Amino acid sequence: MLKLARFPRSQIIARSPLRQVDPRVRLAISLGASLAVMLPLQRLLLFLAFYVMLLLWARLTRPALQQIWRLKWVLLILFIIDWFVVSLDLAIIVTLRVLLLTGSFAFLVHTTTPGELRLVLEWLCVPHRYAFSLSLAFQSVTLLTEEWRAIQEAQRARGAWQPPRWAGWRGLPAQLREMLALTVPAIVLTTRRAWALTESAHARGFDAPHRRSFRQLMMAWTDWLLLAFVACVIVFVVFYF
Amino acid sequence: MPLLTATNLSYQYPQNGRGIAPIDLTIESGEALLISGPSGCGKSTLVRCLTGFIPHLYHGEMDGMVTLGDLSTAATPLWQLSEKAGLLFQNPAAQMLTETVEDEILFGLENLGLERSVMRARLEETLRQFDLVELRDRNPHTLSGGEQQKLALAAVMARQPKLLVLDEPFSMLDTTAAASLLADLKRLVAAGTAVIIAEHRAEYLHALPGLRTLTLGNGHLSPPDELPHLPAAAAAPAELIVEGLRVVRNGRTILHNLNFQADSGEIVAIVGPNGVGKTTLLRALSGLQDYDGRIHINGDTPDLGLVFQNPDLQLFNASVRAEILYRLPQPDMTRYHWLMDALGLTDYEDTPPLLLSEGEKKRLALATVLMRQPRHGLLLDEPSLGQDAAHKQMLMRLLRRVANARQLVIITTHDIALAAQADRMILLGAHGFVADGPPAAILADPIPWQRLGLLLPDWVVG
Repeated sequence: MLKLARFPRSQIIARSPLRQVDPRVRLAISLGASLAVMLPLQRLLLFLAFYVMLLLWARLTRPALQQIWRLKWVLLILFIIDWFVVSLDLAIIVTLRVLLLTGSFAFLVHTTTPGELRLVLEWLCVPHRYAFSLSLAFQSVTLLTEEWRAIQEAQRARGAWQPPRWAGWRGLPAQLREMLALTVPAIVLTTRRAWALTESAHARGFDAPHRRSFRQLMMAWTDWLLLAFVACVIVFVVFYF
Repeated sequence: MPLLTATNLSYQYPQNGRGIAPIDLTIESGEALLISGPSGCGKSTLVRCLTGFIPHLYHGEMDGMVTLGDLSTAATPLWQLSEKAGLLFQNPAAQMLTETVEDEILFGLENLGLERSVMRARLEETLRQFDLVELRDRNPHTLSGGEQQKLALAAVMARQPKLLVLDEPFSMLDTTAAASLLADLKRLVAAGTAVIIAEHRAEYLHALPGLRTLTLGNGHLSPPDELPHLPAAAAAPAELIVEGLRVVRNGRTILHNLNFQADSGEIVAIVGPNGVGKTTLLRALSGLQDYDGRIHINGDTPDLGLVFQNPDLQLFNASVRAEILYRLPQPDMTRYHWLMDALGLTDYEDTPPLLLSEGEKKRLALATVLMRQPRHGLLLDEPSLGQDAAHKQMLMRLLRRVANARQLVIITTHDIALAAQADRMILLGAHGFVADGPPAAILADPIPWQRLGLLLPDWVVG
């Protein structure tokens, strides 16, 4: 069998040792971390400690922290509301759960390319057309950010939009109306891009019933080792701690 | 048997009734056919009919019949038609489906269901044929426009279709990338591939041996031959001064210490290879881009309206009229009517902008900026994109009127024919300006063009 599972280096988003790990293992770790949010406080803390060590080893602390920083206000508001409405314990555990979910998302996003995601989904028996569409959507996230910025600039250039400033509650409806200048072009551009991609895919035989994938996923012994280690950690935290 | 036959083919879009009138057409192996015609005459629609995208992906009223070899396009699934006819679209960046050059080529090969060893051989052969070996691990979105177009062509041709159909493939390319694409097309035609090209910039294509031309009729408004003067009081003379302009984005220096001045009343065309920073320069001049250095007009911050390359970024209102008059408390209606007339938009006043053709949308975006009456002038990024020859002339006449009202007009373009009509041409390279002067003098001197790695079109060299 051809050994084609390893993707070219330039594809890998993070300079992480996890780039050499089979994407199925990365998905399993990420899912395991997401499920761990159901643990009670003490076990959750222990799991988090293991998870932080994994992020440190994988050189992913920076993107994880950046992801968390983006959510700082949500986390703060969540913490304050839970503390005042229910209790400090609940505020801590809910905030930690959101932190863990954010970290596991960063873990997956920064180590997995859209192509790898497609292969994993196909391995999970998701039909190619859906796996391909999902991986394309995953790939388009960065383009969306760039397009949103371009729309803001274009509307500023013609005087149709200004960065919003708080003008009191009375000014809010007008500001919401102004957002139309951004949202309509954003919807149009996204639809057009999706359509252009659809045409491009069909021009190259998309949906052919006899399709055969060039790249294949292959588990190396190091992948099995990492998977076994993560499974042991989960079993230890859940059953023996 | 002909490779492609269209018999009494016609089509109408359900949204606006536009489409193509009945056409008969055949094409054999190794033939080249140019589909020409004014903006909005149905070139892209015909291309989609010939490759089966209509009626499979587009609804509407299609009559007549198209056969690819012995397959009727209406009765055969698209994936099967795509094995016989490859289709390449106008915007190469919008066609990229994967994260590496290799994967982009492999996508089409995978859909052919080939053995992996055959796929590998075809991949290597295609990378070599299209000079993409060095770029094989690159993300397609980081390539230049010319490289992206080459990759898009390679990805289609790796599947070895007998017919290649291209929809305005030259419109976004600089002269060198256009020459490279033309060389690839010549090679394919010589190897027996039939090629159909819908294109405004036909000047490149006459070098294709045995080229036939199909001209589609003009069912749309022609621009007016003469324009009255712009209804605005002439502004005071103004001088734009740019001193030590430097722009750094994402750690990469895009513009290096640029210095120049331009006077109101002048039309300045900035020409340079893809990705050299022409758009960034316009963004800096319009105040949208942070920069080091100084930009001023008579000591003031410039007020220059910027018309973007992609009009879809700017249009959002329910009608053309609402779009142009948006946020103008006391609009100058004389100017409004002048613009509608000058830009050939009078018949579309109540039409939703999204239903206009690409060329019409571009003219509407220009109208929205001109209606705002920026104090010092106008900046236009690739204004001739999607415009036919008549509308390009109309655009230049309009820009001349704006300049005559003592406004400054700066355009960036790959279209040398358009740039040649400006008062001044500036060549921009990766490390700054390479030449600056009257277009005739710049076009007569091949040295700065060679320094930029840009080829002059045959009509200039000849």
